[in-house]
Amino acid sequence: MLKTSHAKTRSALLTSIALTCGVSVALAASAAGAQETVRIGAPLALTGGLADEGKKQELVYKMWEEKVNAAGGIEIDGQKHPVEIIEYDYQTDGPRAGQLAERLINEDDVHVLMSPFGSGHTKIAATVGQRYRIPTIACVASSESVYTQGNPYLFGTLSPNAHMTEAMVTYLKDKVPGLETVAVYGRDDVFPKSMAEATVKAAEDQGLEIVYNQLYAVGTMDHAAGISSIVAAEPDWIYVSGYTQDLIVIRRQLADLGAKAPIVTMVTGPAYVEFTEALGDLADGISSQTWWHHSVDYEGEGAWKTTDEFYQDFMEASGGQDPDYIHGSCAGALVMLEDVLKRAGSLDGEAIREALASTEITTFYGPIDFGENGMNQARDLPIIQVQGENIEVLYPESIATAEIKLLNE
Amino acid sequence: MDLGQVLANGIVLGALYACLAVGFSLVWGVLNVINMLHGSFIILGGYLTFFAWHLFGVHPLLMLPVVGALLFCLGYFLQAVFINKVVTAPVLTTLTLTFGLDMILYNFMTVYFSATPRQVTLDLGSIDLFGIYLPNERLLGMALALLLTGLLFVTMRSSSIGRAIVAVRMDRFAAALMGIKVNRIYAITFGIGALMAGTAGALFALVYPVTTNLTGIFLGKAFVVCVIGGLGSVPGALVGGLALGLIESISGVVFGPQHSLTVGFVVMLVLLVFRPTGLVGVKGYE
Repeated sequence: MLKTSHAKTRSALLTSIALTCGVSVALAASAAGAQETVRIGAPLALTGGLADEGKKQELVYKMWEEKVNAAGGIEIDGQKHPVEIIEYDYQTDGPRAGQLAERLINEDDVHVLMSPFGSGHTKIAATVGQRYRIPTIACVASSESVYTQGNPYLFGTLSPNAHMTEAMVTYLKDKVPGLETVAVYGRDDVFPKSMAEATVKAAEDQGLEIVYNQLYAVGTMDHAAGISSIVAAEPDWIYVSGYTQDLIVIRRQLADLGAKAPIVTMVTGPAYVEFTEALGDLADGISSQTWWHHSVDYEGEGAWKTTDEFYQDFMEASGGQDPDYIHGSCAGALVMLEDVLKRAGSLDGEAIREALASTEITTFYGPIDFGENGMNQARDLPIIQVQGENIEVLYPESIATAEIKLLNE
Repeated sequence: MDLGQVLANGIVLGALYACLAVGFSLVWGVLNVINMLHGSFIILGGYLTFFAWHLFGVHPLLMLPVVGALLFCLGYFLQAVFINKVVTAPVLTTLTLTFGLDMILYNFMTVYFSATPRQVTLDLGSIDLFGIYLPNERLLGMALALLLTGLLFVTMRSSSIGRAIVAVRMDRFAAALMGIKVNRIYAITFGIGALMAGTAGALFALVYPVTTNLTGIFLGKAFVVCVIGGLGSVPGALVGGLALGLIESISGVVFGPQHSLTVGFVVMLVLLVFRPTGLVGVKGYE
């Protein structure tokens, strides 16, 4: 009896060892066959005040993920790697964006972080990335203060605001004879304020007279006081920087209070379809500056090789909505990442960072060339204008679709 | 710049402020509840008006009674089912409860309506009154805001429900002894607060793009109006709203638009120190 029991125990032990060895061999073989997935972390504002912007990022991330995986993945060091975007909703709560970035790095082992919307939240997430030496790609943060923190792991695809304003002033001085005075009215907030300041500087540098220069407080519901002062100053050019709901009200009040300036620029008004939809005919003639517009025509490599290719895919995915610069910049950032990973030749954070730092390519989004601070140094950003029901590109000349049209002509 | 234009801008804006704050003031004054939902009620009213106009072509003026009725029902339900359970607890408890309810409503609207700014565009033009430009949409908004506020004032003074609300505000124990169903009056008051917020939102959608991003700003305006005018009464909200509109308009010209909101808050702080009842408030509700 005892002998039988021993024999049974020995047999069970041998079976267990054989099974364990078999499973181990099978797992090892499986690991050798499947390449490591490229994991990209994305804290997104899917609820809360920035939900619209967060959803725009999410849409193009999903489009890119599906397109790249359908093509077999990204080729790194001779082998195709599938991609996975891991996203969490940070509810438009900055500190929560930081916590989720930490979770993405420590628990989900992401190789790259895509930053949240806006300069403030980007700064928070990028700080976490730097701590763990994981590169962060910011596709919607344009304030230079984000990039002057000495973070070598942060790279942004939007160009500095000054690049836009200098080109705008130069273009208008060239195209509008008799342009001498400008009124600048901006929202007292990170991005609009920096745009207003950059415009004032560019205008002064190029000899324009600033006849009105004021900021309005966040939460201002009525702009009649500021606009009445602008109308009284009779500028040739009215430049307003703010967010869509403010710009809609300001445009209406400019018309209501009898503003007669031949040029009205609103940043980033016409870059958003919500602006033109809400204003109807009043949007006609409003010019703007933007980092990207789907009317531009660039060619490059990656998931979308031309602007038109991206536009067609986007129209299908969005149910007929036009993409704006958020879509363009975020999709462009991911297309650039394909090239970066190929050049890095590995998924090591340091190797990816070095490949990012030496990036110099043109994508469907436009040229991407990171400066010393990690910000895209590309110039020649589009100047656009609403003309009738269309958005026309006025500048750069290589992709221009129309000449500027003056208001009240 | 023309002083007349500045004053006209302030009065038009102030009337809308009064309308958006009167419901908040009533709820705070009668129930001692700081209703954190108020900003979201305003936006919900604006969204309902916009989508009815945008999708089905319903004129915003026809939507006013519909929005009012829907918001009244929502407010009545929330007070009767949730807030009445804790209405006698310290103010921080009801504040936390309405804050939680606000987060649900706010995110519900953001998910289903999105945070995209929406505005009803009637294109009514503007009139030139001796050199003062007045957009007709704003004039219409102002007139309706004053009408609604006036209707509430008459209801409070002359209807049995209004008298019951005033009685509960003065002494809820005595009111209960007189046979007034206090919890029902609380629910009706909260419903009226939501009704006024919703209709104010419908009027705001005529002149300003509404988005969920504005809920906090509207709530902040309601606070300032209540402190300036005084809590718990219709005249208090009216005086506070008009005062805030004029303060913002005048200070926007004198100190620049950047400081116009700051001046409103400074006035609020000064009143809190030297006249906590507000300009026309009742003692005991500060």
